[in-house]
Amino acid sequence: MTETGTSSSPTGAGAVAMDADVIVIGAGPAGMSAATELGAAGFRVIALDMNPSPGGQIYRAVELNLGDQRADPVLARALGRAYAAGWPLVARFRNQEGIDYRPDTTVWELRTDGTVGWQRAARGGYLRARHIVLANGAMERPMPFPGWTLPGVMTAGAVQTLIKSSRLKPTGRVVLAGTGPLLFLLADQLLKLGVKPALIARTDRFGDKMKALARLRPAALPAIAKGAGWMLNLRKAGIRTVTGVARLEAVGDDRVREVVVETGDETTRLPCDTLIVHDGIIPSIDLAQGAGLAVEWRAGDASWCPVTEQSGLASPSRGANLSAGASRIWITGDARQIGGADAAAAHGRLVGQTLAARLEAAETEALTAGPARIYARAMAPRAFIDAAFPQGQTSGDLADSTIVCRCEEITAGTIRSKARQGATDPDQLRGLLRCGMGPCQGRSCASTIGRLLSEEFDLKRPPRPFRGRPPVRPVPLCILATLESLDPELVSSEALNDKPDASGGIDSDV
Amino acid sequence: MTSLMRQAGSTPMFERRQDVIIIGGGLQGCAIALFLARAGRSVGVIERTVAGRHASGVNAGGLRLLLRDHREYPIAVRAMEIWSGLEEFVGRAGAKASEVRLRTSQIAIAMDSNEMSWAEDRARDMGRRGILNERLLDGREVRRLLPGISSRVLGGLISEPDGHANPANAARAFRMAAAAAGAHIEEGCRVQGLERTGSGLWRVETDRGTAEAEIVINCAGAWGAGVARLVDETLSLEAMALSMMVTSRVEHFVTPVVIGIDRPLSFKQSAAGSLVIGGGIAGKPCLDEATSFTIMDRMVSSAAATIDAFPCLSDVPVLRTWTGLEGVTPDGIPYIGPSVRHPGLWHVFGFCGHGFQLSPAVGEIVATSILSGERDARLLPFSVDRFKAGQPVRGGGDDAAA
Ligand SMILES: Cc1cc2nc3c(=O)[nH]c(=O)nc-3n(C[C@H](O)[C@H](O)[C@H](O)COP(=O)(O)OP(=O)(O)OC[C@H]3O[C@@H](n4cnc5c(N)ncnc54)[C@H](O)[C@@H]3O)c2cc1C
Repeated sequence: MTETGTSSSPTGAGAVAMDADVIVIGAGPAGMSAATELGAAGFRVIALDMNPSPGGQIYRAVELNLGDQRADPVLARALGRAYAAGWPLVARFRNQEGIDYRPDTTVWELRTDGTVGWQRAARGGYLRARHIVLANGAMERPMPFPGWTLPGVMTAGAVQTLIKSSRLKPTGRVVLAGTGPLLFLLADQLLKLGVKPALIARTDRFGDKMKALARLRPAALPAIAKGAGWMLNLRKAGIRTVTGVARLEAVGDDRVREVVVETGDETTRLPCDTLIVHDGIIPSIDLAQGAGLAVEWRAGDASWCPVTEQSGLASPSRGANLSAGASRIWITGDARQIGGADAAAAHGRLVGQTLAARLEAAETEALTAGPARIYARAMAPRAFIDAAFPQGQTSGDLADSTIVCRCEEITAGTIRSKARQGATDPDQLRGLLRCGMGPCQGRSCASTIGRLLSEEFDLKRPPRPFRGRPPVRPVPLCILATLESLDPELVSSEALNDKPDASGGIDSDV
Repeated sequence: MTSLMRQAGSTPMFERRQDVIIIGGGLQGCAIALFLARAGRSVGVIERTVAGRHASGVNAGGLRLLLRDHREYPIAVRAMEIWSGLEEFVGRAGAKASEVRLRTSQIAIAMDSNEMSWAEDRARDMGRRGILNERLLDGREVRRLLPGISSRVLGGLISEPDGHANPANAARAFRMAAAAAGAHIEEGCRVQGLERTGSGLWRVETDRGTAEAEIVINCAGAWGAGVARLVDETLSLEAMALSMMVTSRVEHFVTPVVIGIDRPLSFKQSAAGSLVIGGGIAGKPCLDEATSFTIMDRMVSSAAATIDAFPCLSDVPVLRTWTGLEGVTPDGIPYIGPSVRHPGLWHVFGFCGHGFQLSPAVGEIVATSILSGERDARLLPFSVDRFKAGQPVRGGGDDAAA
């Protein structure tokens, strides 16, 4: 079962040895589950993840926090049962034979032919497999508002990372603002860690919940009960909450000092040391887009996601691509569609089993019925959640003076005025303004630029996000200069013969 | 894109006969359009995508005389004059946005003895031709001008008048200036057929209607040979997807543009601090789809050449890459001249990776040639039939010392 296949190179010719049957990118619940299934079926898997230990965002550092002697009972209690659920998943992944797990490894390129560009410490190169499982998760929807770049303003996800990886918690006067389940989960966790937020400023309204009830399915009840539990705890702790926040501003000089919250009729100003914001999460599509896979707009949760079958198999976008031929990429977890940890684990198993059957050329239906059912159940509350926590600060008017691209410090006003002059798609704007060209590679402004353009031109859905190109993560020159396992066919190709004879001839500037 | 497009039929280009129709709204096309429109001619520019979207808007922005083919010198020198007084041609706002920075120098570095002796030959040859902007440097001078360069550097060549500009904004400036001078620019409009009518006019068929003109100019860049084929003319051209990469910002350390002599090296530091690295690396071109792809496997040699010359840059992260489609001729200089088969048709394409610098002068010289009916002598080396005339494919340096 460890047969070594070959892959065709982007130019269509050539044959390069395979490093594994399947490469899994991302070791969160989806990636770990897929890898475990494949390993159990006897296939050779390489699992790559940026983090030092398995778990992904949700189960980040779960072994460290729950497993070793240094475990902190207060932290364990604060992170709760949902976090502890990651423990057996990680243990199975760790113990499964056939998985070559490579932590601290960043993937910076993906090709539909099954080629993966990676970097780990001072080394980098390419790996190839017959199939790729892309489980690189989600990111928080970037949420610009006046003052959002001030030190002391953090996202809910970033605060959770600090709690889980570094056991740090915010101090001083803490305000939470925005919407989405993660914000309330975090508030609940903070309470249990002894941090009592001074205010939770919610952009959602009671009316949203009423409307959302129409989308309630019985299978959604457990998830909703969990959410109601957080709310009750916050109420019991006497935490002040406002809803229907229309405008949010962080005020301060060198860091946030005060937060201004406006609802329809009322303005609240509150001293603040840490402002924690959140406005939902969206799939991380950078690798998928860089691979030339098709993406589609989902109005339900206002996000771009890759076009996939239920099995996770991704389709290349129409038109030209670097690699010819059918896609060998299967996308799972939040990278495919936001669904949360349980849905991710179930779908990851589904993909693992489907792929294992595919590799054995067997029927898949019977095998995947189990995870498919669990997946469907885990997805049941999504319509309710999307309606109950509609996009808040990331929709509607954004003041011209607000920075949109943090890396290059480009404001909403500058983007709007270029759009009015005829730069109507994100790639054009990037060329003219450099927005999206900084170290974040567009991740923190792409969705906002889409929103500004759809407002400006009254579009039903935002224009396609920036075209993705490798490297989708920064790669130091010295690593690029020594990449391992290049495709010999590709490397041998000619460059522009670009210098004249000493007496005249060909030359160029590139 | 749509906001810039007008409906076919409602635009003057499709309603009335034009004096000149230009196929391709890159810099060459827009610059020619500007000079013709200023002279009072009716001009239509037909652009398949968005004017400046291809090579003209995504190039490295190098304004370079250094290491230029001697046959291009007369045009390149005139181009430098135009770039340095750009306001007169594209107006104040356009000139400002174009960020022309001249006299910041370009330096070709010699890292080994072969490259050094090449540089010495070149300097001698240029001197004999009376081309004096290029000067030989020894290792010490190069190290003084380029802090951080490897101590192994042996010397190089410098051209002090050289510099760079912002290509996206410059392409836009020429497009806007051409339009302001009265040229009609049709974007999102693809030329599919070209035919001479009985009355001696050109019928230009597009996917949005048919236009007529007395003269047609093929400025279709990497697609130029394809346009020539529409009238059964075969011009040898390779489409290349030239690749660039950009690093994160580093503290300002180098002002001149640095290029290699026999290695895939070319970089400059942008005003923002990032390094823009080229080197003639090819990606994957897709002409039909009007796009191209980065092939990272090939960027390895360019990264290696960069840190070999500047070891201090080893740890600087590369953030992005891009590619642009360019036409490359067999002898490394463009086709600029009338068709030999069809009167009233000009070919102006195949700039081999260095046509950004030339473009304003190409615009002026082609326009005056067309207006006067007499080809400017500076254009003679670029005639489209030069290969048939039995000239050598490369070099053209008939009286070379090397
Ligand atoms: C990455 C890169 C870096 C470079 N760096 C430099 C540099 O530093 N300095 C320098 O001097 N030069 C540089 N160059 C070269 C320079 O960019 C080109 O030589 C120059 O822009 C060519 O201009 P153009 O108008 O011929 O081509 P283009 O800008 O490509 O314009 C041709 C246009 O024709 C259109 N077209 C094609 N077919 C049709 C059709 N059938 N109907 C309608 N329209 C059509 C295309 O859409 C295109 O817009 C570089 C090029 C690249 C790709």
